[in-house]
Amino acid sequence: MPRTLVAPARSIAEQLASKQREISVAEFFERNRQILGFDNPQRSLLTTVKEAVDNGLDASEEAGILPDLRVEISKEGESGDRLRVAVEDRGPGIVRREIPNVFGRLLYGSRFHSNRQARGQQGIGISAAVLYAGLTTARPARITSKIAEEEGARVLELILDTQKNLPRILSEEVQLWDREHGTRIELVLKAKYVRGRQSPLEYLRGTAIVNPHARIVLVEPDGTKITFERATSELPPISKETLPHPYGLELGELGYLLKASKRENIREMLSRDLAGVSVRASREVVGAAGLKGSEAPASLSGEAQEKLLAGLRGVELVAPSAEGLSPIGPLLIKRGLRNVLGDVRPDFFAPPVSRPPKVRGGFPFLVEVGLVYGGGLPADQPLQLLRFANRVPLLFQQGACAITSAVGSIDWRRYGLDQKGGNGLPTGPCLLLVHVASTKIPFTSEAKEALAEDEDLDRELTLAIQAAARHLKTHLSRVGRRQFASDKFAIIQKILPRLAEKASRLIDQPVPDLAPVITKIMDVVTLEPTVVADASSVRVTVEITNYTARPRVLEVFLEIDPTTFALAEYAPTPEGIDRGLGRAWWTLDKLASNARTRIELGFPARTDVEANDLDFYVAGVDEAHLLGADPLPGDWDVRLPRAIIEAAEAAESGPIEEEEVDYDAAEASAHVSEDES
Amino acid sequence: MPRKRAPTSPKTKAEEEEPKVRADALRPTIDLARLIHSQLLEGEIPRMRLPLRTKQNIAFQMREGVWRLGKATGTRSARKLDGALMLLRTFYLVDFINEMARDGKTSTLRELYYISEGWEEGKFHSEDESNLLVEDLEVMCSRLREDFRLHPEENGASIIGDITIRERNRKGAVKTINCREDVGDGGYALPSNVEKEKIEFVKARAKFVIAIECGGMVDRLAENGFDEANDALLVHLKGQPARSTRRFLKRVNEELKLPVVVFTDGDPWSFRIFASVAYGAIKTAHISQYLATPGAEFLGVTASDIENYDLPSDRLSEVDIKALQAELSDPRFATAEWRSEIELMLKNGKKAEQQSLAKYGLNYVTDHYLPEKLKEMGVL
Repeated sequence: MPRTLVAPARSIAEQLASKQREISVAEFFERNRQILGFDNPQRSLLTTVKEAVDNGLDASEEAGILPDLRVEISKEGESGDRLRVAVEDRGPGIVRREIPNVFGRLLYGSRFHSNRQARGQQGIGISAAVLYAGLTTARPARITSKIAEEEGARVLELILDTQKNLPRILSEEVQLWDREHGTRIELVLKAKYVRGRQSPLEYLRGTAIVNPHARIVLVEPDGTKITFERATSELPPISKETLPHPYGLELGELGYLLKASKRENIREMLSRDLAGVSVRASREVVGAAGLKGSEAPASLSGEAQEKLLAGLRGVELVAPSAEGLSPIGPLLIKRGLRNVLGDVRPDFFAPPVSRPPKVRGGFPFLVEVGLVYGGGLPADQPLQLLRFANRVPLLFQQGACAITSAVGSIDWRRYGLDQKGGNGLPTGPCLLLVHVASTKIPFTSEAKEALAEDEDLDRELTLAIQAAARHLKTHLSRVGRRQFASDKFAIIQKILPRLAEKASRLIDQPVPDLAPVITKIMDVVTLEPTVVADASSVRVTVEITNYTARPRVLEVFLEIDPTTFALAEYAPTPEGIDRGLGRAWWTLDKLASNARTRIELGFPARTDVEANDLDFYVAGVDEAHLLGADPLPGDWDVRLPRAIIEAAEAAESGPIEEEEVDYDAAEASAHVSEDES
Repeated sequence: MPRKRAPTSPKTKAEEEEPKVRADALRPTIDLARLIHSQLLEGEIPRMRLPLRTKQNIAFQMREGVWRLGKATGTRSARKLDGALMLLRTFYLVDFINEMARDGKTSTLRELYYISEGWEEGKFHSEDESNLLVEDLEVMCSRLREDFRLHPEENGASIIGDITIRERNRKGAVKTINCREDVGDGGYALPSNVEKEKIEFVKARAKFVIAIECGGMVDRLAENGFDEANDALLVHLKGQPARSTRRFLKRVNEELKLPVVVFTDGDPWSFRIFASVAYGAIKTAHISQYLATPGAEFLGVTASDIENYDLPSDRLSEVDIKALQAELSDPRFATAEWRSEIELMLKNGKKAEQQSLAKYGLNYVTDHYLPEKLKEMGVL
């Protein structure tokens, strides 16, 4: 700015200054509309819902209250481009003096400097929505909040003053509200309601999946009410706030910490305000930085701060702990998916994968993956990828996200899905949930919609996704075998008897005995578990049938997850049990050709156990003649009874198949192109 | 997915008077029952052999000049679900045919598909399955499906031209019809049965038959008076021609000695239409001797026509290219002429509809294109 010798009149200076401020907040918003998530009416609505819902979830959880949220979106006025959005939680409420700051001031938040996993990190969120509403419709935000200690609810109407970045309260009253505590915000904004991939509904669906402890209700503009009931009433453990770890600490942050420190000297500050720095290490750091150690933290010059940071980098420290992380956990991922995808009726929920925490930069992170397959999921579409960061769904910039590239760099063809060229998103009735939890999520930008590529993160993502994909592969090969088995059963139980009867009647002959033909068609030992659950127990009946031409002596092994295993009762009593591995085994009496026997398992009522969770292994018959179980793995160190060993050693004399063309298979493929009557 | 149920026409007296299934028509199915019974007695998995109806298993029969089924066979075995089901369905079908014969009924193929609702696990999953089984039975018994009282729902094509036929209609009345004078613009519609007991040729002034793929082109020729001016019999193929259309072409060709030319679009699918008219279709190779007209000739639109007449064209799609390549390995197209035609189309990458000739005006096809081509072929 050019200097003038004569000072300008005060009033002009004031005007300029105030204009400057006005420009700064409004312009700040305009310039950052995209990263703040308000670049178009559709996205503005989503961002508003998202910020309000995240606040509601965080507030409820911090107060130890199960989140119960209601989102109402309705048309406002005749113009058609305005919507009223109301988001209500049953959280602890906000004390009167904080209400204006929370909703009417940008960059006001309690979490900016905290070092723990949380949904919002900057505190731009909800006040940006208030600002956007004010800019587009000039309508104030209406906040209703009640805390348990007060009789009535405070109702405030406020706008964000763009000149001062301060809330301006337009009206205030106290009203009766028929609830103990909670907060409701109502905004009128220029917005557009849609359904589909990047919509409030999808956002809330995703939120419900990874927050199975929350109950969420959405009322759409046309009055449709969608409820996501909670799938568990256990709150996730509150992630502990951890001290910042020197790995990944920036100079500015160090400066802030030094200034804010209440310690007497820097040695003490290092060992008590930072994580991973022992008393001995603090001495080393100070020494390496060429400082005495007795300096007051706030007194360090910029140069000294730089040296201190270099010292911290040069000394070996204890790795950051993962205490600040709050993973969803395999059990709740499965419950969340099952709860929200119930109407799709998937065939298969893969056991979710939760990787142990790792550290990148100075921050711990972990990756969790859930996979769902089949049922009503569309088979001809690309895999549906649900990305989450700290339990928040990421709906935008899928293509630019490290999660997407990790999924795309896996060769899914090896796991049974179609994938053009062996990279990119595979095609199939498959939904993949990927959750990254961290005290600092490496977003590509402030829009917080995509994760940045990172070697450590990528490795963890790939390992977790591959583990889930392996479950899918196992499932698909099981399905294939089951189809094969059900075809065979249909033949021997229904088709063959009827065919024999009809052919015999046509030539006036008695129906021959079918047993020898049945064993020839099947030529397997089958093992079939059936699960029946009722109010008093869950019972599993395992039927073992010898459909081969000769008698069999079999050893059957069952393996279940040890926690579930501990609950089981058996009939007959197993030969042996290994509780640690979750294994039980039986030597069956000699099973004649076409004879059947059963093993029964009982579990307490409501035990979460499915046929899929039970793994069976059988010795005494080779793989080609075994259906519904796998051969005993070679690396199991088990002593088999002599009879089993002898049976296994006796060569299997399978029927020698002539190389014949299957007429019906040839027919099916031959008539695709020609089309005539 | 099955189409909507078609209304069942009330059975008339005439149908009841139709001859019963000849006692020996189903004799081979009794043999099949014996075979299966003895296999079961010996503890063998029931199975039977059938000639394969695939592109690889058709052979040229010198004597008849048509492509018929070769010697390769496949096994239909109860070891597999599909095979077991087809074996079982064969006996349900035999029961059904015997029942129709007893009650003097006939059935459309579509009705047969729905009849199978009562066959429990033998129920057809698609109409393709029921059609295939009927063809299998034709092969097994060396009979036509009409011998089993089964017929297609659709009628054959329509024809326009100076030919007089005598048809015994479904009420049993005999009508003499001239296929130009006694019919409207739609022409005479061929019934699904065009055998001698149903249709007799009385006389024909037409000198040759021109079989046309699209209805629009048939109308164009009729409107331009092409059939009258050239003594032509126009036959509308309606895409891949029905059995009765092909049977009719064969009869006029054999009995009335009329040359048959085929006029289609210039694309790989039209080549297949011609092949099924002239050489016999793979699916019906077991009855090519009834259906194929070996003397039929392809008039166009050829790949060289597209160039020579500079016709508006479309690029070949990926599917088109695959179809052309498949035709290169089809024995019916294994002649020097067809190979060069297919290869030329592949090389130019172009296809054209027959109606693209309208580029030069509505009369061009009748005034120039057809006369030129027919002269070249020696028909005119």
